[in-house]
Amino acid sequence: MIEYVLFAVFFGLLLLGIHRKTIARIQRRPGPPVWQEILHMLKFSFKSTWIPATASGTLFVGIVLLAIGIWTAALFVVLTGGSLLIIFGIYMLHKIVEHGFGLSSGSPYGKFGGVRSVISAASEIPLFVTVAVIALFTESFSLADITAYQEVHGPLLFLVPLPALAMYIVILSKMPSSPFSIVESKEIVSGYKTEHFGVWRAGLEVTNGLKTYVLLFTFLAVFIGSLPLWWILIGMVLIILSLSFVCALCPMLSPFDTVTVQILITAIMVVYAGILWVVA
Amino acid sequence: MNIAGEPFLVLEFADELVYLTPYTTTLLLFALAFTIFAIISRPERQVDIVFGGDAFYAKKTSLSEMRFRRFMAIACGLASMGAVVTGDIFNFTLFISLVGICNVGIVAAVKIRHVQEAAFQYGIVALSATVPLFGAAALTAATTGTLSMIELGKATTAAVSPVIKALLVLGVMGEGMAPFYAAKAEMFRAPGAPYVIMCSLSSLLIFLRVIEVVLVI
Repeated sequence: MIEYVLFAVFFGLLLLGIHRKTIARIQRRPGPPVWQEILHMLKFSFKSTWIPATASGTLFVGIVLLAIGIWTAALFVVLTGGSLLIIFGIYMLHKIVEHGFGLSSGSPYGKFGGVRSVISAASEIPLFVTVAVIALFTESFSLADITAYQEVHGPLLFLVPLPALAMYIVILSKMPSSPFSIVESKEIVSGYKTEHFGVWRAGLEVTNGLKTYVLLFTFLAVFIGSLPLWWILIGMVLIILSLSFVCALCPMLSPFDTVTVQILITAIMVVYAGILWVVA
Repeated sequence: MNIAGEPFLVLEFADELVYLTPYTTTLLLFALAFTIFAIISRPERQVDIVFGGDAFYAKKTSLSEMRFRRFMAIACGLASMGAVVTGDIFNFTLFISLVGICNVGIVAAVKIRHVQEAAFQYGIVALSATVPLFGAAALTAATTGTLSMIELGKATTAAVSPVIKALLVLGVMGEGMAPFYAAKAEMFRAPGAPYVIMCSLSSLLIFLRVIEVVLVI
């Protein structure tokens, strides 16, 4: 298990590196090498570290461990074919982790990042509606049952494309430089991440790698089905490339517009799920 | 339907019922971690920048304020833990109303006008939400004859009406505001993490639990 967690961290960071490189090339910049995020994580691991004088010390450190813990748990759930509801729960708990990161330091930039993270929580409802629609079709929340269903009926991507699109947008909202990434936009320096540096930032990078890997893995397992590992990794790269194009070509929305768009998507998904429920 | 994984612990004593599934255990551990943070952490000192200049100042939380808010945050954490592990609908609604009261309490000691106003408005919503919340529990007992979630999940028990489930969800959303936290944003801006984080954490936990509850019953 440990070796798989390490693999997920490094591959997740590599995906984020590919994301940065692709955005740079679309914008006609050379961009950093694709392994830049891995280098960042290693570099931060050996930089000098301290806790700001205004911080709540225990929370400042503990939140990093908690972030790594929840995404390791999510990886375990995905690999063992556990309940999709747990993945959904962990995804939503990540909001609180971001909130904790932002509020623990006492920095106004971190605080704004944390508050923005919480107010954009309505974006998680499309994910829940996605989970509900999948359960309506497959009559199970278990990832193992969902992949087994697809072996008989074909990929859910073609059976229920709208929930797939909703989950794609949820993943998009978590990508760096996305139109919805108001939690770490530049007018608030780095948002909730601003004050975490040194080994704490390395921990945050580990979380980002794990999170990216788990979310993309879940997307492929839920909408494509069971695949060999190589195909999963290729699928992840393809999704990241498509996300990079969206991020490179769309401007970042204001917090108000972000929440409005997310609520709109939520409304569409709720209506869609309602129609499916009535028909079923 | 396998919703949250198979229960691996069921505790029954008198009319109390507690059960743990992988899902509720995840929520319980998260609530426990933040309650421990609230117990052992000292609060942050929020830094504010003076508008139009280079100066900044740090807001300190006084000892008496810290004691009160720490107590409320721990109470909120315990109520959240109760809400995520209980297998009884009435206890669930009781713990949720406690969460609503504790949320107001966590920020009530902050002597900042906009925080007090936000807490007051949220308190009115939370108070109103107790009607559908306890109404749902009462209607469940009246129509099915039991409040045990395990009994309600069985095919042999009478089905819980979707209207009752909607009332339960409405009550929880009123108490916690999740997922529309924007209504509580002024409360989150109050200084003094980790106590203030308990407001959003408890809201999210009870929202995640009610999703499981309405799917199970």
